[in-house]
Formats: sequence, C-alpha cells, structure tokens
Amino acid sequence: MSPLTSRRVFGGALLARTGALAVRQLCSTGFLRDRRRRRSRVAILHGDSYDGPLDRTLIDGLRLFDLNLRGKTVLLKPNLVEYIPGAEVNTNPRLVGAAASAFLALGAKTVLVGEGPGHQRDTVLVLAEGGLEAELRERRIRFVDLNRDEIRKVPLQTPFTGLDCLWLPRTILTSDFVVSMPKLKTHHWAGVTLSMKNLFGVMPGVAYGWPKNLLHWKGIDRSILDINAAVPAHFVIADGIIGMEGNGPLHGSSRDLGRIVLADDPVAADFACSRLMGLNPLRVNYLAQAAEFLGNGTPERIVQLGEMLPATVRPFAVLPAFAHLRL
Amino acid sequence: MSSSFVEFERQRSVVRCRLLEEIRRRRLPGAGGWSHCGVHFGTEPTSLALLALYSFPPGSTVLGEELAPLVARQLPNGLWPAAGDGAAGVSFWASALAVNTLMTLGATSETFNASLNALVHCRPLEASWLVRLRFRLSDRQVRFDPTKHGWAWIPDTVSWVVPTSMALITLGRAKRQGLIRGRESEKRLRLGAEMLLDRACPEGGWNAGNALVYGVPLRPHVDATALALAALRFHYHLPIVRNSLTWVLNRIDCPSAYSLAWVILAAAAYKDARLDVSPALDMARNRLAALVEDPRAVEDTSTVALAALALEPENTNNPFEVKA
Repeated sequence: MSPLTSRRVFGGALLARTGALAVRQLCSTGFLRDRRRRRSRVAILHGDSYDGPLDRTLIDGLRLFDLNLRGKTVLLKPNLVEYIPGAEVNTNPRLVGAAASAFLALGAKTVLVGEGPGHQRDTVLVLAEGGLEAELRERRIRFVDLNRDEIRKVPLQTPFTGLDCLWLPRTILTSDFVVSMPKLKTHHWAGVTLSMKNLFGVMPGVAYGWPKNLLHWKGIDRSILDINAAVPAHFVIADGIIGMEGNGPLHGSSRDLGRIVLADDPVAADFACSRLMGLNPLRVNYLAQAAEFLGNGTPERIVQLGEMLPATVRPFAVLPAFAHLRL
Repeated sequence: MSSSFVEFERQRSVVRCRLLEEIRRRRLPGAGGWSHCGVHFGTEPTSLALLALYSFPPGSTVLGEELAPLVARQLPNGLWPAAGDGAAGVSFWASALAVNTLMTLGATSETFNASLNALVHCRPLEASWLVRLRFRLSDRQVRFDPTKHGWAWIPDTVSWVVPTSMALITLGRAKRQGLIRGRESEKRLRLGAEMLLDRACPEGGWNAGNALVYGVPLRPHVDATALALAALRFHYHLPIVRNSLTWVLNRIDCPSAYSLAWVILAAAAYKDARLDVSPALDMARNRLAALVEDPRAVEDTSTVALAALALEPENTNNPFEVKA
C-alpha cells in the first residue's frame, strides 16, 4: 500500500469513527432520539438473473417477514438515474415489476412506483429508455414522478444539515409502506449507494432543482441522515443481481453478485449489502452514524433470514478516495 | 404540396386543438393557474399553459385577468417560487420562465421590472471567491471553470445549465425590448453564455452541467441541450454549438414528448442556419403529434403545453427564440 493510500485509509476510517462517536454523544445527551428497534431482519436471496422467476422469489422472500400489507398503499422507490446503454445503472425494471406484483399478491391495496431522478429532468425519458415504462404498463402499475409531485413541508428533527425542514412529495408522505429499491453500487462521492442513499431520489426537483444541489452543499452524508430520519423507508428490496463497482454510480463496471437483499430496516440492509460488496459498513461515514440511532448495524441486533452472508467475498473495486472501505 | 404533407399537417392541427382543450380543462379552480399533475399551483406549467393558449397568433390581445394567476404568485422580491405559495422559496428557473411569459404576452413592464433586476443581480455560489478557491484547491472531480457563472436553480447553490439557459433567453428578450441595459446586464449575459459553453459535453450537447466527472465524459440530455441551444443561437459559429445542434437533430426519435417539444422549439431558431433543420423539424412534429395524440394520458401539464407550442405550424412568435 502506498503512503498516500495508507493515509487515505487511516483518514477515512478515523472520519467515520469520529462521526459515529459524535452521534452516540448526541443520543446520550438527548439531542437525538434513538430510533433503533430491538431487532431488525435481513434476508439474502439467490437471484441468478433478471429472467428468472423473480415474482416467486420475492413472494417467498417477503413471506419470511410476515408483513401486514392488507389494505395498504405501497410505494416502491427504485433507483433511476439515467439510461446508459449496456450499463447497469438503474434498479432493474423486471425486479421492480416483480416486487409490485409480489406486494399485490400479499394483500396490498395499491402499489405505486415513484422516483425523482437527480440529474435527468425528463423522467418519462428515463422510464421509457430504461424499460420501466413498458414493465409497469404491462403490469398496470402507476408511476409517480416525485420531482413534480405536490410538495409538503416536513420539519426536521435531526441536526445534520442544519436545515429546519425538508420539502417532500405528497405521495411519499401519504403512502402506508415505503420500499427503498436500490441497486448495489459504489458511489464516487458517498462511497456506496444503497437503500439510504437511494432516498435522495424522493427529494423533489421542483423544490431543489436538478441536481438537488442544496443537499450536496449541505453534505451528502449529512443529507442522507436527515432524509432517512424524516422519511424512513419501511422495507428494502436491494437489487444485487448485478451491481456496479469502480466509478459508480454511472460509469463503473458491472459486477455479478446474484443476490437480492430484503430487510425491514434500511440501516441493517445497507450493512448487509456493504458486506456483500466486500466493503466495511462501519467505514462508510453515513452508515457508521446511522447505526448509532437510525437502525441496526451490529450482528447481535440483526436476525438473518434466508441464506447467510458468504464467508469470503471478492471486494468491489472502489476509487482511491474510498480505499478505506475495503474489508 | 404533397397530399401526405397536408394530411400530416391536418393531423398535427387536430392534436394541437386537443392539447389546448386539455389545457383549459386542467385549469385550477379558484385562483387559477395550472399544476404539474395535482391541484397545487406550479409556475412552469402555468407559464407554459399561458404561452400555449395566448402566444398565437402573435400580437393577439391578452387580458390582464388571464395573466393574473401567474402575477398573483410573484414574491415581494419580484421572483417566483417553482410551486405552491412561495414558502418553498425562490426558483430562478421558474422566475425566468414567468418573466419570459409575461414579456411574450405583452404584460405591462411594471409587472416584471423588479424581476429582471433581481435576475440580473442574483449570484450563484461560485460568484464568491471563497467558493471558487474551494473548487480550485479541493473540489476538483468535476471539470469546469468556476469563474464563468450563470444561474442556479435556487439560492445558495451553484450554476446549472437549464436555469442559466432560461435566464439568458429571458434577459436576451428584455435587452432586445430595451428593458434592461448597462454594463452589469451585459456582463451577466456574457458570463452566462461563457458558462454554458464551458459546461458543454466534449462531443456536443449539454446535461445538467457536469460534462466531465473523474475524467469521464458524461452523456448529454436532450432537453438541456435544446434549452442551451435556444440560448446560444448567436454562437452558432462555434463548433461546439454546431456539434450540439447535430447531436440533438439526431435525437428526434426520442420517446418523450417533453424533450422532443423542447427540441422543436429550440431548433426552429436554426432553420435559416442549416438546410437539414426544417426536414428534421417536420419529422419531429409528426412524431410529437403521435406521442401526445391522447393528451389526457400525458400526466404533466408542462408537457401538454410545450407540445401545443411545438405543434404550432407558423412559429412566428416562438417564446424561446432569441432574436437579433
């Protein structure tokens, strides 16, 4: 390891550790409410390809959680950035469609799919080019453009960005059950983009612009924490069938993982996804902090359903700035 | 004139009538205006709906009451919010679009003089030397020249391509009408155009404003490219603008009505510059008419209104054309 890389590894690890300790201090002094549940559940499912029986896989996987969906409106929030031919950038449309059908099969009253891409203003174009429009049309599932939805003001109860409120789309606030559906990718500014980072996409472009630049200036890590505290996802279905490594979230390389991660806690889900990627979640700045108050990261507070994490993994390639993330 | 041309023309006219009818149907009750999709006022859909309903034929009289929903949402500083009653704050994109609408529709200048002044004097973050220093020293993953700034989406952020393009279109129109003058506005217009040119993708076209990240060129977006081209009509002599026009004319198979309508409105200004523009526009209009054939199926009112504008056959009062 070169001296520069060593310094980066040390510095990155120290930063995440210091942040986590600061959050722990905020919790112990009562400035921050500890929202962690006693136990979180994570299931890792096999999914070799998008052409497989995904509907069946997801129904069986969701049944492990014994969710009460009867009469509920479920909002699926995939990760749609933009369409790049041949690149695995977005949550696969077949997985999104299968999830919609699975929730309906398990008793949900309505399933909606909503997203607000961060850079591409023409959401319809992203949907059409990426294949999600056709998938949802075939399954008769409605899509909501969260960038142009009606907005409501939500006061913030966490201090990370220093903002006093967030403007959020009506659809996300009125849905009974929000499901974050990220794609497992590395991210050139946040380290990894998983279920928590995916919620950046609920911030409406109509209020924040394209990109949601105010949140970048307030700090991506800090914004992730405030957004997830304000709009907690109730469930996660992470697309790890094919992920992205290297210079994600747009220009990395595809990486076959053959896994779908389900969880009832976004922090626990992201810890599991990071480990599947061969990356240390405690060194991802926002994850280390989130595990102190938002959700569970420690193995003793996570019930593992389905198959276990593999004993060895080949770590995802990361940019040099994130060399410290590798296990 | 061939019979198929006449048939296409008739079809486009029928679709345009349906679009205008749909815009009238979607008008919000009470204070009026239009929403993107729901029942809350939006400055972009309202501006575009007013333009679609009243900018043709040119010179037609627009009553103040028709503009009232837009004027009523103006904030005390002369600018507009993107949506709602203004609690979410100012949007420079929405403000530039609203002012351009009022100018195009012949509103009295008292309604937007303060807005023009605010647009000329607002500054994005990188106008500060401290922020420029940060970009020079540490924040260097995105390649751009921070000394060239345009307009941000909202206050306390940096410049981006789409709001800068609309601000240039609006201020260009204001300059032509003698509503702004002086060194400050000239400098602002020059810097804004330089910023757009600096942020162009290496092979032509524009995206949100990040052309090169970690040394990797990012792809252009159709709508951003169209808007930037509309703003940079008088820079056609530059290779990057010519390449961008070529790029966007090759995207008329675009499956989205919103982007395609922007292409038609922007490229119309280049009809005299290149022989391939008019035939491409004709094909694009046919395609657009097919995409919005059933306006009720188009969720966003902005798209309905833009399509109606783009399907206008004799676009002599194109609100987005910067003229000499």
